[in-house]
Amino acid sequence: MSGIDIPHAWHADEQSLRRWVDGTAGTLLGASVEQHVVRCAACRGMVARMVAMPSLDGVWDRVLDDIETPRPLFVERILVRLGLPRSQALLVASAPSMRLSWLGGITAALMFVVLAGAFGGDRGLSLFLLVAPLIPVAGVAASYGPSADPSYEATAVTPYPMLRLVLFRTAAVLVTCLPLVALSSLLPVGQQVTPAWLLPAVGFVAITLLASTWVDTAYAAAVVALSWLVAVVWWTRAGDPLGVLAPELLVAYAITTVLVSVALVVRLRSLGLLWQMP
Amino acid sequence: MDTTTVDLRHVTKTFRGTTALRSINLRMQPGVVGLLGPNGAGKTTLLRILATVLAVDNGSVRVLGRDVTDTEQRTDIRRRLGYLPQELGFPRGFSAYAFVDYMAVLKEWDDAAARRTEVRRALAAVGLQDKATKRIRALSGGQRRRVALAQALLGSPELLVLDEPTTGLDPEQRVSLRQVLAEAGRTATVVISTHQTDDVAALCDRVVVLDEGSVRFDGRVQDLVNEAAGRVWLADRADPRASASWRTGTGRYRNLGQTAPPDAELVEPSLEDAYLLLRGASAPDDAEVAA
Repeated sequence: MSGIDIPHAWHADEQSLRRWVDGTAGTLLGASVEQHVVRCAACRGMVARMVAMPSLDGVWDRVLDDIETPRPLFVERILVRLGLPRSQALLVASAPSMRLSWLGGITAALMFVVLAGAFGGDRGLSLFLLVAPLIPVAGVAASYGPSADPSYEATAVTPYPMLRLVLFRTAAVLVTCLPLVALSSLLPVGQQVTPAWLLPAVGFVAITLLASTWVDTAYAAAVVALSWLVAVVWWTRAGDPLGVLAPELLVAYAITTVLVSVALVVRLRSLGLLWQMP
Repeated sequence: MDTTTVDLRHVTKTFRGTTALRSINLRMQPGVVGLLGPNGAGKTTLLRILATVLAVDNGSVRVLGRDVTDTEQRTDIRRRLGYLPQELGFPRGFSAYAFVDYMAVLKEWDDAAARRTEVRRALAAVGLQDKATKRIRALSGGQRRRVALAQALLGSPELLVLDEPTTGLDPEQRVSLRQVLAEAGRTATVVISTHQTDDVAALCDRVVVLDEGSVRFDGRVQDLVNEAAGRVWLADRADPRASASWRTGTGRYRNLGQTAPPDAELVEPSLEDAYLLLRGASAPDDAEVAA
């Protein structure tokens, strides 16, 4: 504490100083002590010892925390409210597929194909069947790999378990599709094909992830999308768009999904890297 | 006591029929090691192998006493590793602090208070403490490079693998970076790849020159410089017999070669002279000098 220091023959007693510090000294005593403290370094020293001053470093750290710590992302805040630790929520929310612009884009795409399916006849139904199961695949493709993550090479060699990150982000992608699935199930087209289209959708995600242990996720997703396009077009030209969701094919999708998922877990455990670098 | 932190034996790596590394043998200890070589010499491939990004085709790699082919041991290496790739992008919309914080989470800094302290330390080490809240896209190229370097410095790693860390930095920033790396090199093994011979001369205890996937030189910087002694001349004109020659700022020509040009003055070689002579200095583009 800075101030004037005039030698004094007397000093304020400890009890008076403490009452002044506590604010219980009253007007007369308070003014008297204050007058004295302003001029007496020794009494200011006693006051300093009585006041529990927070450390300057601590105050500065809190100021820095307020300034530097970024405001949690929208998805991050939701995940934290759902009980995910903040650090894990940050990793999930940092994926490009969790950005609001991306979420808005897939919402718009799914809404469009739902409406097309509802009001567009067979062609609309084909469009719905073509696009809807691929939306989670697109989300996964936007979550991992050199194409999606500009800092991929540095993040790939961190000790964080890649399998955990993959599963977190994949789960988040699938969860973002659920409200849209619920919405589509209310429409005629949804009642016709929901939840059957979810089966190939989940299978495609698993296949994309497995393939991405060899090639970039974007290429893996592109091949899956192309294959599905061929299948949907083939059934549509055959005059039966819903043929891609025939019961025997659904069983095949389910078996494939299980097998691919097992292979994926085995493969990821054996790899330190999810993707092979060029 | 064996202080070996990096042990490569007969390491070979091929990409689609092109051999990037040919039976490389290298052992490293704590200190700063500079990797020199022309584009395509295999520097980045070697650094990626050290950083556990790439697996080798043949040979063995032990880093920090661990086998990189074993999943658990590789994870342990990654806990003790800092890696700066040649090109590192950033997630959109992140500030410098947010990116380093994100990387700190991936590097298992789970305690929020400890992570904040470490992120600030890393940013301060690269001189970006005042830019922490700036969006990365608003930073200059040199500042972005320093953000990338800050994430590599998290946790004071025992092995720092840095691919062209001084790219885009101005002279003051380069000097500042040298101080950071020299300090790190007191206890850690710092491996830097660069085209800047003056960085290697100023910073490195040891230099490894790679060319076409093979080690052309491995030793002390001064030993490489000494190899050029008696072969660097200042003359009033370019010598057509020289391996390389270029006009210097004084108007005289620096000639590299065995034979003295007419009226030439023998001068002390620099690391760049020695590097150019080692490579044969036949290709001005590769040599990065004005012939």
